[in-house]
Amino acid sequence: MDLDKLRKTAAEVVAREDVRYLLGWKKGTFGYRIAPGFVEDAESAAELIFSPLCTANLATYLTLTEKPPLPRGQEPDDRKVAVMVKGCDSRAVTQLLIEKGIERESVVIIGCPCPGVVDHELLAEKYPETEETAELKWSDKGFLLLQNGEETEIARDELLAEKCRLCRYPNPVVSDIMVGEPVETWEPDDDQGVAEVEGKNAEVRWEYWQEQFSNCLRCYSCRNVCPLCYCEDCILDRLNPTWIYRSVNFSENTAFNLARAFHLAGRCIECGECERVCPANIPLGKLNRKLAREVREKYGFEPGVDPEAEPFQASYKPDDPEEFIL
Amino acid sequence: MSAMLLNKEKWSDFVGMLAGKNLWAPRESDEGLRFVPVAEGEVPTLDYNNTRVPPKEAVFPQTETLFKFKVGGKDLEEPRPDQDAVLLGVRPCDARAMHIIDELFSWDEDDPYYLKRREKTVLVGLACNEPGLNCFCTSVGGGPVSTEGLDLLMVDLGEKYLLEEVTEKGSALIDEVKELLEEADDNSSKQKDKLADEAAGKIKRSIETEGIPAGLPGLWEDELWQRVSASCIGCGTCTFLCPTCHCFDIQDETEGFEARRCRMWDSCMFREYTLHTSGHNPRPTRSERTRNRINHKYSYYVDKFEVIACVGCGRCINLCPVNIDILDILGQVKEEI
Repeated sequence: MDLDKLRKTAAEVVAREDVRYLLGWKKGTFGYRIAPGFVEDAESAAELIFSPLCTANLATYLTLTEKPPLPRGQEPDDRKVAVMVKGCDSRAVTQLLIEKGIERESVVIIGCPCPGVVDHELLAEKYPETEETAELKWSDKGFLLLQNGEETEIARDELLAEKCRLCRYPNPVVSDIMVGEPVETWEPDDDQGVAEVEGKNAEVRWEYWQEQFSNCLRCYSCRNVCPLCYCEDCILDRLNPTWIYRSVNFSENTAFNLARAFHLAGRCIECGECERVCPANIPLGKLNRKLAREVREKYGFEPGVDPEAEPFQASYKPDDPEEFIL
Repeated sequence: MSAMLLNKEKWSDFVGMLAGKNLWAPRESDEGLRFVPVAEGEVPTLDYNNTRVPPKEAVFPQTETLFKFKVGGKDLEEPRPDQDAVLLGVRPCDARAMHIIDELFSWDEDDPYYLKRREKTVLVGLACNEPGLNCFCTSVGGGPVSTEGLDLLMVDLGEKYLLEEVTEKGSALIDEVKELLEEADDNSSKQKDKLADEAAGKIKRSIETEGIPAGLPGLWEDELWQRVSASCIGCGTCTFLCPTCHCFDIQDETEGFEARRCRMWDSCMFREYTLHTSGHNPRPTRSERTRNRINHKYSYYVDKFEVIACVGCGRCINLCPVNIDILDILGQVKEEI
């Protein structure tokens, strides 16, 4: 990835009068961390990076931006927001367009073809993080780690994130500007995570999820980081009536996790952010990917691919065969 | 107070003798490391950095039933905590955190639930020989061998643990396992001091806190809060995993005719935190909420109890999904003051 080109493109975009700010990735405060960056001027565009550490899906900020009440006489800033997207992130933007969660004119999409990002937890486990910010680059073999003045070659298979092993869309599916050439797609792995759970009998499966959901702290980082969990009035925040109690126990935690999974069926674009941020390590990806596959196989719908598609759960077809309805 | 030595060969006997006391220790599972009640026959190892969820949950559970009642009934059933507990391997920062929030829970009104548990719980600490990447306890009044909040401090000397009594509760515990222990000599205390110095030297991150509590009120309207919270997603990770965060919400919940009033951890990072019935929200955006998180720890608490309500455990830094780093925020605060 040519960083100069990326920064130059970003600087040109933020300099445009119709653009409010640009969402990109910046170096974090230590180790392997990456911070989402809100770039407001061409100068700050020089801080942007794109590397195998850039796991964060910035599309989430398109709907997360708050609109506090403005002082009398002040007009809201309705200019466009520019966003840098990997393949998976672009699917989130596309799905938002399908659902009319955002308007096409409100965003400038800067596509970054992505050879695959790393599993941060695995990286820190194998190559301990230090207080110095480290760099990770894509190389012929996989990744090149630059840490404390030393260079280490790391094989791609050793660190590639699970979501990337399963990825079928490394190139952005929608964009206004592309930075760099499209990457060659790869044969996705079989989804062993889902297969493993499916292979267990119902009782064992139930025990497995029971244990996982019992660990949930209800911090809602999965919901908040999700680019497609953007209901203004989420049932979880409702107190009257309280659909899901605040008590943190297996029953309520399960209600929460299953409600979220079902709300994402046919909408989740498998960016893996929920699983990455969960402080209780709940394998949320397995749950979401299982439902995504059901929708793909039973309804032939894949979310976040075609911006002109009709939203799967909100469309009606008179000729629907409805074969599976008893 | 005296000091004793426990040979690590006797570790399982030591655990065994405490087993009847509702013993809690860190255990590694799918969710990571967490304090849990030790199972029968289990011998916990203390070979770890620190748990993800702080041990505060043993004295301040995430969800606690205050009383139960039947819908339409008048009788209240009040389950009050009365169980003894021993927490094994509490890091000095986490014990210090409890010591700090003791002030709050015994301030204007005594909180019977928290205080009862605190009274009934013995905290056996474990000094830090290898501080974590984002530890900064030494910047906020703590240290790798700090004993504040602890009843007993253990120091890993290699083949043996040094056990230092801190409170009477700690001494009583030592008495119960005395047969396994030997008297400590001068050498062990020298070894401890050496390890403590080395550990403090391994702490890489720091902040000079002087001036922050006094300066924060002047930054109330500063643009800084907007800047440092721009990428915040508004989840509860930083607060739920914070050993000093103590905000809770109270809710009535029913299942059929069975009802309970309970309290559960709340987070100032949540949208509906202190949301008024009228719909007015005193902290309408994440920038005011982030300002609250920092001010509560580094200003309000200092005003009231003369101590910073942050122990430098580094959890909020380690686990923030978007790299919001409290040391970075405090650094920016210092620049603006």
